[in-house]
Order: sequence, then structure tokens, then C-alpha cells
Amino acid sequence: MLEYIVPALEHLFNLENFIWINLGVFIGSIFAAIPGLTVILCIILFLPFTYKMTAIPGMMFLLGIYCAGGYGGSVSAILINTPGTPHAAATMLDGHPLSQQGRTKAALKIALYASTFGGIFSALMLLFLGPQVAQVAAQLGTAEYFMVCLFGLTIIAGISGKSMIKGVIAACIGLLISCIGSDPMTSYDRFTFGISRLYLGLDLAICLIGLFALVEILAKAEKKPEQLILDTKRMNDNGVITKEEYKRMMRPAIVSSIIGVLVGIIPGTGASEASWFSYDRARAMSKHKEEFGHGSVEGIAAAESANNAVTGATLIPLLTMGIPGDGTVAIMLSALMINGLNPGLSLFTTQGDIMYAIMIGLIFVNLFMLLQGKCLTRLFAKVVSVPQEILTPIIVIFCFAGAYSVNKNYFDVGVALVFAVIAWLLRKLDMPPVPILLGMVLGNMTETNFRRALLISNGSPTVFVSSIYCIIFVVLIVLAVTTLVRSRLKEAKAQA
Amino acid sequence: MNEKQNLMDKLDARRDTIAEKLASREIQLPTDLISGVFFLLLGVVGAAIIPYQVAVSETDVINGRAFPTLLMVVMIICSVVVLIQELYRVFVKKLPMTMKPVNLLVEVKALVILAILILTYLICRITNLFVVGACFCCLGFLIYFRCRKPSYYVVTLMTAVLIWVAFRFGLNVGF
Repeated sequence: MLEYIVPALEHLFNLENFIWINLGVFIGSIFAAIPGLTVILCIILFLPFTYKMTAIPGMMFLLGIYCAGGYGGSVSAILINTPGTPHAAATMLDGHPLSQQGRTKAALKIALYASTFGGIFSALMLLFLGPQVAQVAAQLGTAEYFMVCLFGLTIIAGISGKSMIKGVIAACIGLLISCIGSDPMTSYDRFTFGISRLYLGLDLAICLIGLFALVEILAKAEKKPEQLILDTKRMNDNGVITKEEYKRMMRPAIVSSIIGVLVGIIPGTGASEASWFSYDRARAMSKHKEEFGHGSVEGIAAAESANNAVTGATLIPLLTMGIPGDGTVAIMLSALMINGLNPGLSLFTTQGDIMYAIMIGLIFVNLFMLLQGKCLTRLFAKVVSVPQEILTPIIVIFCFAGAYSVNKNYFDVGVALVFAVIAWLLRKLDMPPVPILLGMVLGNMTETNFRRALLISNGSPTVFVSSIYCIIFVVLIVLAVTTLVRSRLKEAKAQA
Repeated sequence: MNEKQNLMDKLDARRDTIAEKLASREIQLPTDLISGVFFLLLGVVGAAIIPYQVAVSETDVINGRAFPTLLMVVMIICSVVVLIQELYRVFVKKLPMTMKPVNLLVEVKALVILAILILTYLICRITNLFVVGACFCCLGFLIYFRCRKPSYYVVTLMTAVLIWVAFRFGLNVGF
């Protein structure tokens, strides 16, 4: 590890990287602060910009957006009682009441400090755990890799949306989309319907622009363009956090950071699960339970540290096995692979200097987030009230320009539009889009490992229970499905 | 100026009347039933076209059809489960079907937005000038939102041109 640190620092410490980090943090904070715009949308829109960059500045830019998105969502949650991003919903429960008590600046500061703490904790975990996990991952064979993919898909199908079965169908759609184009093992074309542009398959970024970005534009039909007015005078409190409050924040911040890391490592889960789970834990452990929901500093610290602690942890399965911890980092995978960085142990050995530069860079991303948060919170807050009339066409133009720029043809823009319509129709049928995304990302890896494992075993499916790692994943899948089904049944009973 | 204002007010009033009529109309969509039937059909059709759409070598033990076939089978099984769940709910538990209200106004508005998107795409494609499509897109959405503030038009159009400049000259995307 140490032999990579010095060259990694040399790669990292240059003006270009720090400019991209700060630009990413700035854009991420603004996107996350505006209700209705999500981090995933922001990363999709700005992904084409990274295609021209080398690995380190490209990843620093995207990680800046990703991490700042964790904090930015809390700004609108605290100020206007509307979470900027879904994972800031738990922060809102105590952040807004504290703001109403005349302590808006203090609430924003608690959220910022907790986010930074969670983010740095997570980055350190990535730095130390990443290479270890990569060594374990190197021992996995094709059958084991297939089981890991299956595990990730099962979790995401189970937790996104109201029905697990619909989640599985959505994952199948994603996997099927990944089959379009040439066969990864024989290069015969599949599902191209004679359209020559489909021979190379559908580009992930283009499909995502339709599935996640353009569909949000269609969803504007569901909402009235209301102007969110922010009274900035409310931000004129002194923002003092007492010693006693700092002490009370420490325990939930540490526990929630650990929870955030654990949740982040599990493929398919994300910041929302981590922040709600941590919030519940913090309430259960607190000596001041009565304050929760009424402006508890522990509540804000728990939710914010957890959702930022996910950021580094989700990169652990991504960088070591190519399996994204959540939907947002799934998009980052293409930014890595376009620079020839293929996840796995080799990434930590042959390209260790680049990898360590990215992992150390994540610590700096969090530090710059703290700096920008301290200096620019007032600006982020004002952005909350940017009118939808202006934002909507700008997002569309970004989407179209982004889709076109991938292969420089309008066919891709048409594909993005088709995916937007599909996503709109699926939304009407209550089909979750995230399993489709994960299916598309994991499609190639899942299929290749599935076929290779069967080829090795002469077509015998027992290969998928032939090693201890396979059995562990089978047990995990069964446990996950059982737990999810039980919780769904409980919910159904409670509703009845 | 006043005449223009009156004309716009009249247009808005007309749109409001139509919107009011549409807003009151709601269709109940049996989501689970439709999902079950639709994905069952998709799975069956998908499985049927695999031999025509996936070329394979005769010598392969596990060929390129194996994985898509597996997916189609999983999709068919899941769709059947969704259908059985729904039928069980209706006929055994005597509960109402899982429904989702679909408002006609929302759908018409979504269609208008889709029309703006498609027109933007067509303008870009036909003229091969992205910036023209981008400007149309801005105007289309500002009119859709009934925006009457000239400053919004200026800001949005300027931003559209700036985005084109960033992609054209910053990223060398020739459009």
C-alpha cells in the first residue's frame, strides 16, 4: 500500500484536480439543494464532460458531485421542510424544527459537520478496506461472481418499489437491455432487429438520460410549478453549537457512520436506507428521545453522517468487483472503464497509483465540501428558489447535448427519448427504475460469468453451489429474500 | 400591448376551461393486472423471437441464447405470480383490485411535454443545428409554463446558447 501512496499524492496534488473537485462539489451541492433535482440526475447530465478527461480529474469531479449531493439535500430539508434529495428526508424531521426555533445556521452547521465526518470516515474505510476486499475478490471464480451479481440484483429488486416481484421483472428488463448488441463471448449480434447502430449495444449513459432525467421532465406534468420562496433573514442567527451539543452529536455520528459504511458495502442499497436506519438507531440509543422530531441535534447528526458515510463504502464493491453499491456509483463505473480502469485486484496493483489517488482524493472532496459549505451555504440556500420555468428547459438541453455527445449522432437522442417514454409508462405501472439501471450495469458481468461457469461445469448448475463462497451467497440471498418478504407481509398486515 | 395582453388572457382562460374539464376525469388503472398481462406477453414474445434474433454456433454447449432465455423464463414466472396474487386478492380475499388513478389532465400535459421534446429533437436533427432546437425547447417550455416574464426568456435563451457553446467549443462536439 505504502509504495502507491507517494506516486498517488503526486498524481492528486495538482491544480486541475482541485479545480474539478471544487466544481463537482459546487454543482453537486446546488443540484441537491433544489427539490426535484437529484444527485443521480446531476451525475448523468455531467457524465459526458468526463469522457474527455483522464481518470483522476474525471472521478474527482463525479465524486465531488456525489459527496456534496449528500450534504446539499439537507439545505432545503432544513430551510423549507422539503428534502432536496430523498436521503435528506430523515434530516428534515429534526433539521426544520430546529430552524423554526431560530437556529437555522446551527442546523445547517450540524448537518455540514456530520456530513463531513461521515464522508471522511467512509473515505478512510475505502482506503483501508478496499485493497483487502479486492484480495478476497481475486479469489472468486466465475460462479461466485455470478452469485455476487445475483445477490446485488436481489437486494435492489427487493427494496426498490412496492413489490419485490415487480422489482425482479424490472431487473430482468435491465439485464435484457444489456443483451442488445454483440454477444460478449462470441460477437454474434443479438436483438438488433437489423438496425446497424445497435450492433455495439445501447450506451448506458444514453439510456440513463431517458430513464432518469427526461422522465423527470415528463413528470413535471404531475406538479404545478410552485415557486419555493426562502426567507434568507431566517439565516441570521449566530449559528453557535454548544460544547454539550458537540458531545451529544459524537456518539450518533460515529455509530451512524459505521451503519452507513455497512449499508453502503451491500450492493444495491443506498443513502436513504442508511439515513433512516441510523436515525432510528440514534433515537433508540438517545437519552433525549423526546427531542427527536422537535429539533434534536442527535437526529440531524445521525441522518447526515449516515448518508455521507455511504459514499466511500459504495465504491468498495464497485472498485473491487465492479458491482456498484448504489445506482449513482453505477454510472461512475462507465467513467472508470472509459479510461481503461477495470475493477478488480489488478486495479489496486497495476494501476495502484491512480486508484490510491482517487481514494485519497475522496478525503479531500469531503474537506472541500466542508469549506464550500461554510462559505457558500447562503448561496446554496438561495438556489432553492430558482424557478422551474428556467430549470426545466436547461435540463432538457443538457440531456439532449449529453446524449448526442456520447457517439455524436442524433440516433442516441432518439434512444434517450424512447427510454423516457418507457420509464413514464413503467412509472404508471408502479415499476421501479433502479433495478433496470442495476440490471443494465451488471448485465454483461452477470451473463459472462453465468455462461463461463456453466461451460466449465459442462452445463451442470451445481457449479453455483460448488464452493464455500457460492454457498455463503446462496445463504445471503435466501436470508435477504426471507427478510424482505416478511417485512412486506408485516406492512400488508399493518395496512389491513 | 393591451391587445396582446388580452389575447394571452383569453388563451389562458380557454386553456383553464379545458384543463378544468380534464382534471375532473380520472381513469382507474388496474396496475398489477396490466403489469402481469403485459410482461407475460413480453416474456412469451421475447422467448419466441430469440431463435430469430440471436445467432448461435451449433457447437456451443452454452450459447448466446441461454441467458436471454433464462431471463424470459424468470419474467414469465414473475408475471404469472403477479397475476395469481391479483386474482387471489379479488376472488379469494374478496378485496378490490389494485388500482391506480390516472388523471387525464396529467396525461395530456405529459403528452404536450413529450411533443415539445420530440419537436426539439426533430428540429435539431433536420436543421443539424443544435442551438436552434435548444432555443425552440426554451420557448416551448416557457410557453407551456405560461411564463410572462421577459427576463426569464432572456436568461433561459442565453443559458441555452451558453450550453451549446460549452459543448461545441469546450468539448468539441460538432452540432
